[in-house]
Amino acid sequence: MSDVLDVALRLLVVFVAFLALPLIVGQTEHKVMAHMQGRLGPMHAGGFHGWAQLVADGVKFAQKEDIVPAGADRRIFQLAPAVALLPYLLVLVAIPIGPGEGAVGVVVDAGIFFVLAVMGVGVLGSLMAGWASANKYSLLGGLRTAAQLLAYELPMLLAAASVAMAAGTVSLTGILDAFEWWWLPWQIVGALVFFVAGLAELQRPPFDMPVADSEIIFGSYTEYTGLRFALFLLAEYAGIVILCGLTAVLFLGGWHGPWGADGLGWVWTLLKTAVLAFVVIWLRVSYPRLREDQLQRLAWTALVPLALAQIALTGVVKVVIQ
Amino acid sequence: MTASASGAVTLTAAAHPGFLSPTGVEIAFVLVGLVTLGAALVTVTTKQLVHAALWLVVALGGLAVEYLLLTAEFIAWVQVLIYVGSVVVLLLFGLMLTRAPIGRSPDADSGNRLPALAVAIAAAAALVWVVVDAFRTTWIDLGTRQGSTDAVGAILFKHWVLPFEALSVLLLAALVGAIVLSRKGGTPESGKDPQASKDPQSGKSPESGKDGASGTTPGERDKEPR
Amino acid sequence: MPPSEHPPHPPAAHSTSAPSRSFPGSGLAKGLAVTLRTMTKKTVTAQYPEAQPELPPRSRGVIALFEENCTVCMLCARECPDWCIYIDSHKETVPAAAPGGRERSRNVLDRFAIDFSLCMYCGICIEVCPFDALFWSPEFEYAETDIHELTHERDKLRDWMWTVPAPPALDAAAEEPKELAAARKAAEKLAQEAAEQKQSTAEQKQSAAEPQDSAADQQGTAGEEGAQ
Repeated sequence: MSDVLDVALRLLVVFVAFLALPLIVGQTEHKVMAHMQGRLGPMHAGGFHGWAQLVADGVKFAQKEDIVPAGADRRIFQLAPAVALLPYLLVLVAIPIGPGEGAVGVVVDAGIFFVLAVMGVGVLGSLMAGWASANKYSLLGGLRTAAQLLAYELPMLLAAASVAMAAGTVSLTGILDAFEWWWLPWQIVGALVFFVAGLAELQRPPFDMPVADSEIIFGSYTEYTGLRFALFLLAEYAGIVILCGLTAVLFLGGWHGPWGADGLGWVWTLLKTAVLAFVVIWLRVSYPRLREDQLQRLAWTALVPLALAQIALTGVVKVVIQ
Repeated sequence: MTASASGAVTLTAAAHPGFLSPTGVEIAFVLVGLVTLGAALVTVTTKQLVHAALWLVVALGGLAVEYLLLTAEFIAWVQVLIYVGSVVVLLLFGLMLTRAPIGRSPDADSGNRLPALAVAIAAAAALVWVVVDAFRTTWIDLGTRQGSTDAVGAILFKHWVLPFEALSVLLLAALVGAIVLSRKGGTPESGKDPQASKDPQSGKSPESGKDGASGTTPGERDKEPR
Repeated sequence: MPPSEHPPHPPAAHSTSAPSRSFPGSGLAKGLAVTLRTMTKKTVTAQYPEAQPELPPRSRGVIALFEENCTVCMLCARECPDWCIYIDSHKETVPAAAPGGRERSRNVLDRFAIDFSLCMYCGICIEVCPFDALFWSPEFEYAETDIHELTHERDKLRDWMWTVPAPPALDAAAEEPKELAAARKAAEKLAQEAAEQKQSTAEQKQSAAEPQDSAADQQGTAGEEGAQ
């Protein structure tokens, strides 16, 4: 009985985190982006510096009419947001935020594979949305999504494989247990590749061609309104949380910290995730969108070779140490 | 797919005699197997192209769940990663790039319904026969995690290294063949990028790779395992 | 370790920006630095409804009417490029001011309205008014929910008159305003006359009281003046 309770409690915590963290990241984006542009950002909703802006947005989205275009493929159109969002929820379950097995939703043996596989599934949602909207801009967005995913999945996987090689395990908790501080410089190239490729997979600026608003309106999500659109947005921010959490766990040592070892591990994980999320926002504000060909060239001529070099380096160091 | 699903069903059936009452896992296994089978059937019979690809996702996902139920976690996630995450995305990409009307496309039928059925049944029969013949009433204890990453790695690189390497060479050959074909048919510059991605030792790839070529590259990579 | 510190960046730098001799990726770092610096600076957002904006003294918010000055000469309505000023008036006869005098007729303003949905805030009416009856007011919060209600009548225009600020001070080096110059001239003339009168009376007093000190000089001038 206590087992069931334990599992239920864990899943509940993960679910709450899944709802809360993306909102926090979104609010931070509002504010950080505004201040980086010399603005204040939302100031009214909720009273104090607009802290409830996203809640208000959510209420607004919920009130809007849920429209399915006449020519659309109704069922797939309606299913797509769920397909986009749910994988991230599943991934969050497997990310350990503290030492030991008590601080992770569910221990997954092949953690890295699980996480990357399920993240890749999320992109199917965009594809389905792009196709089912019966809109040429949506279709273009879907195509760009697919091309981007195919280009960036490989370097991401290779970079993650490098860490797995270093740790000698593909379990996320195992990688954290094996983590040493000198891995930081050792795996820095892999970390950058992973982070950049992850940004591209999430379609975050500067890799946001699939939703490039000045070219194709809003890509796959052009025809969406109301709650379904909100789900897509939530998926994007959940993706940021996942990517930053994963990068923190895989490359930055997760719950390892210079001090406060016992009981405060989760603080370190959250802190690293938050810093990375800030970087994600920062990059969005600072850089213009890449062109489609630039994006592909970056993936194939820079990230993939770098990731392979990182794997080679990892292998060499590993053998030398042993 | 059809074959493996039905094979899976037979496997559970073979395990049955030992227990009068099936365990929860076994029931789940059979149910998921049925769902997978149904999804696979819809995949090949539906008239809507993109729906077929999406039903394929369901079928492949069901297969991954079956692997999970057999405690072959590693294989399950690789299945999702490669097939659902890449192959189906590639399929959808190809469909959308060429022709993906919403609604039925009756002209997308090659008219080879009966031969296809015959081949499918023959393949399924062969696989089922092989599996049944190989395992018969063997009872595999799932309590000890037969398919964990450790076990798979050890088996793959200790006992099955030679077939594994042979397979790699085969894939490499297929890859090279794909490059050759794409070079002969298309523009001379397309197909340079695959080299860059596959062969880091050759150093910097030529800058001339167009994005169109790079976009299709992972397709060639992912097609091979099928 | 590969030599570059920002491995994924250089290709992007090559493809997005003009090639430069500097460290690869320095342009990207510069971009990040700019945004980070901006974040630490004070924002420029004006919190409008909470904080009223500080408007420049000659803001063109709305046109106010000082109807006491209006003579219904219609110059403003005729000069208005988009004909947004409506003026109605009637003639009244004013009885003679003095018995036996002539009766005078006078224009009385009945309606003065400006349609601010048409007005383009050119200010020609204000420039052209010879009697200083129209003024710019910095008031700008007069939005309406119906476009017809943007035609504001004389009472509203008169009310805005209270919001017209005093004319801003001139620049230090500016020419003196004409009114002031004229007034000053008149005042100076008066002062001079008064001074002269005073002088002459003082002179008479002085000469009457004690004529020893510098009497010759004063007498000389006095004699001249007297001669004139």
